[in-house]
Amino acid sequence: MKNLSIFLYEWKHFTRSPFKIIAVLLYLLAGIYGLHKGASLYHKQHAAINEIEQKAAKEKQTCLNRYQGDSLVPSKEDWVNLAEPNWAIEYTQVYHHKSPSSAMVYSIGQSEQYGFSKKITRWASPYDDDLVEEIANPERLQIGTLDFTFVLLFLSPLLLLVLLYNIKSSEIEQGFMALIEVQSVSKNSWLVTRVLFYFLLVLFTNLLLIIFGGLQTGVFTAANKAFGQMLLYSFSYCTFWFVLFFFILQIGKSIMSNTLKMIGIYFVFAFIIPAAVSQYLSIQYPTNLMTEFADAKLEKRWQLWDKSDTLRLAELEKLFPAITKSSLLKNNDKRSTAIQESTSALENRLRKVSIQPIEEENRIKNAFISGTFWFNPVSFFHNRFNTVSQTHFDNYQNYRNEIQYLIDKQIGFLISEMWNDVKVDKKKYLEYDQKLKRLN
Amino acid sequence: MWEIIKNEWQFFARSRTLLVTSLGFVVVLLLTIFLGYRQTHEQTLRYQSAQKHFRTQWENNREMHPHGVVHYGTFVFKPANLSSGLDEGINSTTGNMLKLEGHVQNEITHTEASQTQAISKFGKLKGSLLLQYIIPLLLIFLAFQSINSEKQSGRLKLLVLQGANLTKIILAKTLSVSIYGIALLTLSVLAYAVLNLKTLNAEIISRTLFLFLAYCLYYFIVSGLTVYLSARLKNTALALTSMLGVWIIWTIFLPNILLSSVEQWHELPSRVAFKKAMRDDRSNGINGHNSSDGRLKELEKKLLAEYKVDTISKLPFDFWGVVMQKDEEYGNLVWDKHFGNLRNVLAQQKQSYQLGAILNPFISLQNLSMGFAGNDNKHHQDFLLQAENYRRGFIKKLNDKHAYGSTKTDTSDWDVKVGAAFYKSVADFEYQPAKLSSIIPIYLIDLVILIFWMLLSVSLLIFGSKKIQIL
Repeated sequence: MKNLSIFLYEWKHFTRSPFKIIAVLLYLLAGIYGLHKGASLYHKQHAAINEIEQKAAKEKQTCLNRYQGDSLVPSKEDWVNLAEPNWAIEYTQVYHHKSPSSAMVYSIGQSEQYGFSKKITRWASPYDDDLVEEIANPERLQIGTLDFTFVLLFLSPLLLLVLLYNIKSSEIEQGFMALIEVQSVSKNSWLVTRVLFYFLLVLFTNLLLIIFGGLQTGVFTAANKAFGQMLLYSFSYCTFWFVLFFFILQIGKSIMSNTLKMIGIYFVFAFIIPAAVSQYLSIQYPTNLMTEFADAKLEKRWQLWDKSDTLRLAELEKLFPAITKSSLLKNNDKRSTAIQESTSALENRLRKVSIQPIEEENRIKNAFISGTFWFNPVSFFHNRFNTVSQTHFDNYQNYRNEIQYLIDKQIGFLISEMWNDVKVDKKKYLEYDQKLKRLN
Repeated sequence: MWEIIKNEWQFFARSRTLLVTSLGFVVVLLLTIFLGYRQTHEQTLRYQSAQKHFRTQWENNREMHPHGVVHYGTFVFKPANLSSGLDEGINSTTGNMLKLEGHVQNEITHTEASQTQAISKFGKLKGSLLLQYIIPLLLIFLAFQSINSEKQSGRLKLLVLQGANLTKIILAKTLSVSIYGIALLTLSVLAYAVLNLKTLNAEIISRTLFLFLAYCLYYFIVSGLTVYLSARLKNTALALTSMLGVWIIWTIFLPNILLSSVEQWHELPSRVAFKKAMRDDRSNGINGHNSSDGRLKELEKKLLAEYKVDTISKLPFDFWGVVMQKDEEYGNLVWDKHFGNLRNVLAQQKQSYQLGAILNPFISLQNLSMGFAGNDNKHHQDFLLQAENYRRGFIKKLNDKHAYGSTKTDTSDWDVKVGAAFYKSVADFEYQPAKLSSIIPIYLIDLVILIFWMLLSVSLLIFGSKKIQIL
């Protein structure tokens, strides 16, 4: 009963402290602002994807009109013949998007570092220039966006600090402690109850914000698991700080020393450790300048095209043994065109080989970062929040893998259709369009 | 006043806690400076190796038709600045690799931040992290402690009763605390200078001096405000927490909110809209790779009339080389218009953000630090412009070779080739960081605002100290 009165009395303490009320209000405002930023980016990306799809549908209709009666050879591009599989496939409008999750409202994460829409062609690669990030102010990117994750990660410990810094030490400094010890159940239980009040206040504030965010983008219908995960991780994160701050309050005897310790520990976990890990990583693995990839797109590509038809055909036959049975091999003109068009498969192989070491280095770097999570909790939670909102590096790596899969599929399809001398009509074109979009 | 500063420093020197904290901090600071230097060094080695690789590839390129070389192109890389070890600014969020080729102005790609999962929201452990975030916090505690201990022990009362001038005491305490920050700053700058002794030049030294000045002003502002609040407010806890609140709002809260808001006031186009607008404008020009293009026919007619011949094969140059250069020049106008618009919007965003420093001097400090370190958006845009000018130069050289490189005039000569001598004649791309003189006008407003804040602090200390109730 005494604990309950202490708990309820803390409400009075809180309401009589304008500084603490302002801190909670500022936190709420920052949370709402962060959620608005996330929701706004979510809607923006959706709108951009819709625009791309609408444009693609228009282009597709133009092609279909050609199959329905217009010329299969566009007047301005007399080298194009849509009856040929290579041109028909080239003119399919296959886009692969990374549709934003409705949970993006909680964390913008790394979404501003990558593109989210890619036209799939046989010459494409998941590291192409057209897959670069959305246009943004680099100085803003460096400072970071104030999204909800930022609020949780960096402002919630500060809010806890502001709410807790003078508990117990204020009583000690004013000489009330002995009186409290006489009146209260026990010093520890008194402290726990008071601290718990603020802990629950922060949790409740977070809960309100998470619900508000969920309503912005329809998290409850589209990604209800994300809501539960956000609650769980935000609870765990606040508990981590709560425990640290509680021990400081328990040991500390003065406001000044407690504040210094709290802010010091905040600095260590929120600034120093993540920054030190980042610094160490960039010394061990300096930024990859992607020279292998650039080589594959430049010199090695030219070396490939310098090769004779015979050599390229031999390489193609190794990759696609079915070519050896093609009737086109007997027709010199058609064989040459088919080799020319199929060389995209060899280029694709070159690019894939060049990407491997880059992705391997990224994998090692990420494994290293994950290995630091046991002493780097802020980065751990940061990445957890990004995973929940599907804006984590791995989500974009999966997206790149899917792009590569669709490129491979398109190339495999092209080789099969070309070397079987297939003629494309409207039905076939629609079949290409459908099949080449599917991730299975 | 000098006497008070001397006493204050003697007091600092006698405080074991402060000595141990300072010693520990100096070790961390020096280690950070060393690691920053190492990281810049490693990155520079990678950059040099990549640049050398593509230069060798360029010089040893096969014999090709000039237009083949236009498509072959080359790559350039953004180097790390010497001061990146102190403040790397935006480097980890901008790309590093840029393909230079004909018909298109590519964008810089593959940022460092995109190569790993999220690590640090506040960047790497560079000198700037400690100088901008931690030292001011130390100064807040030190300034608070300096006044608070005097108040609690009753010494302040005693000094005033003995006839000491309170304003002088307060100003001296502000200076003493600021000097502590400046001493740490000096140590960082000296350590960095020693590590980079071989590459120091007048430009870098001048930049560092401006950077130094910006930090000194900021440290004075933070110390002054804390001393003022600590002296003015009766409730010591409130004084400390108020200043900590100010620090949180200045360093964590406001920069983020202001820059995000500024991005909404001066909106950048979406990538889809940007590309579409360029494509639309580009389609109004000559298409060198489409012989049925109407504008190309017009050019043909014009040149035939000018040279009074009836077919392009009778022109005294290769018609297609001229077409390619015309195509390129039209493209340049389009890129200038659209990329120019982007640069204008970014400049407007920067100016609005700089004005935000009226509310928050930390914004000016960050701007000045990355600006004088040569790692702000202005330097990034300069790099992109220099790379683009280089691209235009070497594409024109190739198109001219295409048009006028052949002695044959009877036919369009796609057999003309360029080889080793030509490749070597194209100078390698060398990025020249913007001169300090071009940076100062951009950051003058930040310096003025910091000075304004400093004067405000001094005024508060002078006029505010008269209202302090000591007795």
